[in-house]
Amino acid sequence: MLNALTPAAAAAAGRPRRPFRHWRSALLLVPFCVLLALFCLAPLGWVVLHSVQGDDGPGFGHFREILASPFYRLAFINSLYISLWSSGCGLLIALIGAASLRRVPGRLRNAVVAFTNMTSNLAGVPLAFAFVIVIGTNGALTLLLRQWGWIDDFHLYSKGGLCLIYTYFQIPLGVLLLYPAFDALDDDWQQASALLGARLWQYWWHVALPVIAPAIFGTFILLFANAMGAYASAYALTTGNFNLITVRIASLVSGDIFLEPDLAAALSVLLTLLLVLVCTVNQMLLKRSYRAR
Amino acid sequence: MSYVNVTGLARRFGGTTVFENVGFSLDKGEFVTLLGPSGCGKSTLLRCLAGLSRPDAGRIVVAGDDITDSVPQRRGIGMVFQNYALFPTMTVAANIGFGLRMQRLPADDIERKLATVIDLVELRGKESHYPHQLSGGQRQRVALARALVVEPRILLLDEPLSALDARIRANLREQIRDIQRRLDLTTLFVTHDQEEAMILSDRIFVMDKGKIVQADAAETVYTQPATEFVARFMGSCNLLDAAACTRLFGHGIDGHLAIRPESIELLAAAEAGADDLPATIRQHQLLGNVIRYQVESRGTVLLVDRLNRGRDDLLPRGSEVGLRIRREDMREVG
Amino acid sequence: MRADLYHRLVVAALVALLAVPVLATLAYSLAGNWGATILPDSFSVRWYLQLWHDPRFLSAFGHSLLISVATLLLSTLVIVPAVFVVFYRFPALDRTMNLLILLPFAVPPVVSSVGLLQLYADGPLPLVGTPWILIGCYFTIALPFMYRTLADSLRGMNLHDLMDAAHLLGASTPRAFLLVVAPNLRTGLMASLFLSFSFLLGEFVFANILVGTRYETLQVYLYSVRMTSGHFTSAIVMSYFVFTLVLTWFATRLGKQESQA
Ligand SMILES: Nc1ncnc2c1ncn2[C@@H]1O[C@H](COP(=O)(O)OP(=O)(O)O)[C@@H](O)[C@H]1O
Ligand SMILES: [Mg+2]
Repeated sequence: MLNALTPAAAAAAGRPRRPFRHWRSALLLVPFCVLLALFCLAPLGWVVLHSVQGDDGPGFGHFREILASPFYRLAFINSLYISLWSSGCGLLIALIGAASLRRVPGRLRNAVVAFTNMTSNLAGVPLAFAFVIVIGTNGALTLLLRQWGWIDDFHLYSKGGLCLIYTYFQIPLGVLLLYPAFDALDDDWQQASALLGARLWQYWWHVALPVIAPAIFGTFILLFANAMGAYASAYALTTGNFNLITVRIASLVSGDIFLEPDLAAALSVLLTLLLVLVCTVNQMLLKRSYRAR
Repeated sequence: MSYVNVTGLARRFGGTTVFENVGFSLDKGEFVTLLGPSGCGKSTLLRCLAGLSRPDAGRIVVAGDDITDSVPQRRGIGMVFQNYALFPTMTVAANIGFGLRMQRLPADDIERKLATVIDLVELRGKESHYPHQLSGGQRQRVALARALVVEPRILLLDEPLSALDARIRANLREQIRDIQRRLDLTTLFVTHDQEEAMILSDRIFVMDKGKIVQADAAETVYTQPATEFVARFMGSCNLLDAAACTRLFGHGIDGHLAIRPESIELLAAAEAGADDLPATIRQHQLLGNVIRYQVESRGTVLLVDRLNRGRDDLLPRGSEVGLRIRREDMREVG
Repeated sequence: MRADLYHRLVVAALVALLAVPVLATLAYSLAGNWGATILPDSFSVRWYLQLWHDPRFLSAFGHSLLISVATLLLSTLVIVPAVFVVFYRFPALDRTMNLLILLPFAVPPVVSSVGLLQLYADGPLPLVGTPWILIGCYFTIALPFMYRTLADSLRGMNLHDLMDAAHLLGASTPRAFLLVVAPNLRTGLMASLFLSFSFLLGEFVFANILVGTRYETLQVYLYSVRMTSGHFTSAIVMSYFVFTLVLTWFATRLGKQESQA
């Protein structure tokens, strides 16, 4: 942020303020703004406006309806449950992986990062199908585990199954987001702390974690937001039969029956507000944490 | 028996040997400088002493305990790193108190020790600053305090001053030496700066390509270098090979003859006796308080340093002079 | 040495974990028959042959490629000049832009499609059901990547010095941009294009809700054949995965060149 600001501020200070001097250059921004307005701002505006559009004039009827309905409340709870679990597990695995990734030789590391990058593309519908093959009712792993007697049956099409599939697509994202943060750790810190009597875990707890905590937290927020907004995998896996907030929204605008776009708008606003709230808290925590160098 | 005894120490990385069969001992309270060019293995040696690198052979004994196989946590060794290695998320007080907290000392003990050491390194008032809010010299003092507060048996410093600018460096090295004397702390100080080494040390270990080639008091290392490398490394030196020796003194030599530029006396041609060498001034360079002449005698160019006493005293190019070199200032080196 | 081994084991476990679904899909797509057994009975490439002879698949794949390429072309033409103008003429706008490009990131596609579906169903811009609406939406998907990459490149060069030098040598501003600045943006731009390409090929939400089968894309096709043979869908998933693999490979190659330059 600071970097982006400094040249801008310097240039602004150095030039006389004549807003229309560069009007021809400004024309080049027009297509950009039009596209952004048409396909991002306008729909968002529509959603916000119509969320407070009742059958008889403006009001918060839809919000009241949503909060009163156990069905919609369950959709939120399911989404939150799956998002929190999958972000937490994904983050933990990514954290352990990224920490070790920094300690293997450069060539291996580059290869693994490239591979992780590729698997981050395996999401949505193709991922759902891949999971059906591995751990579906007749999936290879399911059969294997059943043969060994470890499981009776596994329901991929349930909350647990969705948590698993969400966790899978969170891992590569988490690794890619976290791995650069580990570069901030100086090897001398570990050695200095060892000479001061700290065991390895004490080094991690007292020295390393505080340094990468903002990155960990920021990654968690991104993963969480990603999971809350995800739709394709769950929809493909359960054909829209699992009650998630995104599935509810989509079915209210594109289902076969009961189209209620205004209600969908209200649900969308609630979802977006939730995400905005989470991101704001993240920003506030980041501001409060120390600023290294 | 010395306080620290190191014998037969060796360290290899893959096929390359950094050092081999290194041995030395330190007395209690001694300040020793490990001096050598960059890449000669100083840091590696220090890290082996600290337990951060595992030696392939050799023993390290401190005050009678063999610590060769102890973990770094148990060695009682303090170390100051070149780039300070301060923990960025901790304040000055938290950085310095880290080692005490790891020992799980009671809070009031920690407070007391912190106060003492913060006064010692003159950081009062900076306790709640973060490392990024400090100047280089202040950071280095935090690093020093952090290493000192746990009362280590040996203090290791790896080029602690090389990232600082000249004036702060001079101040800080006085301060380090002063604190070391007050605490009577056995100290091994690594540097590649011979001036720093001479100013600070009780003894200097000169290291060359993984060997300690001379371990002596500063004056001895300077005036009686054991090898050609030491002679060259410790300030400027005239090194004469066998042919030049024969021309100048009429007898040959094995190896080289080392003569410091300031130990050669310049005489007016008239004052020169039969034992003095006749010579001609070729050039001079002003080094501040010293003028360095390049003087040619019997086909050999020698450097001669002389105090700068003003314009009138300057010997012009082409002057005929005599050179007087005392026998004890000539030193044969390997 | 023990620590080394631990780190290698962790990395190996991570790779294995991530590779399981890919390898299983590959095996399944190559299996002749794989009923209720743990390992397949036989191997064959017939699913791939069947897939690559299926006109519906080929047309869906073609649609996806066409929409993605069109989007990237449009994005390049719109975003590159815009970023340049922001940095050269209106540097104070960079902050605003950074916030704006976060919007498509922060608002889930499901939410945008609620508004899009109502706004463009009819009226002056009846775009729903046509590929045009996807091109517009995909523009917003590609935007954050492309803007970030281009902004980083521009920040890394001395833009004003370069332009001043070119002006002093007699070049007009557009010529100076094309001849002096644009070549420096090329690698970064290409890397972000490949990355966006693989993202767009995998896009399902907009395609399914806004267009569906009226202009079927790869992902929608994949979804619609979910009831046919699992081997067949596996062959689709693998074909798609290999394609994105090549794209990300190009992107990382270019990214590496960029960081070395
Ligand atoms: N971890 C390591 N792996 C391989 N070689 C190393 C390692 N650490 C040091 N070396 C080599 O050991 C030699 C001595 O290094 P070092 O002790 O850092 O020298 P100094 O501190 O005197 O500059 C160098 O040639 C260096 O390349
Ligand atoms: Mg060193």
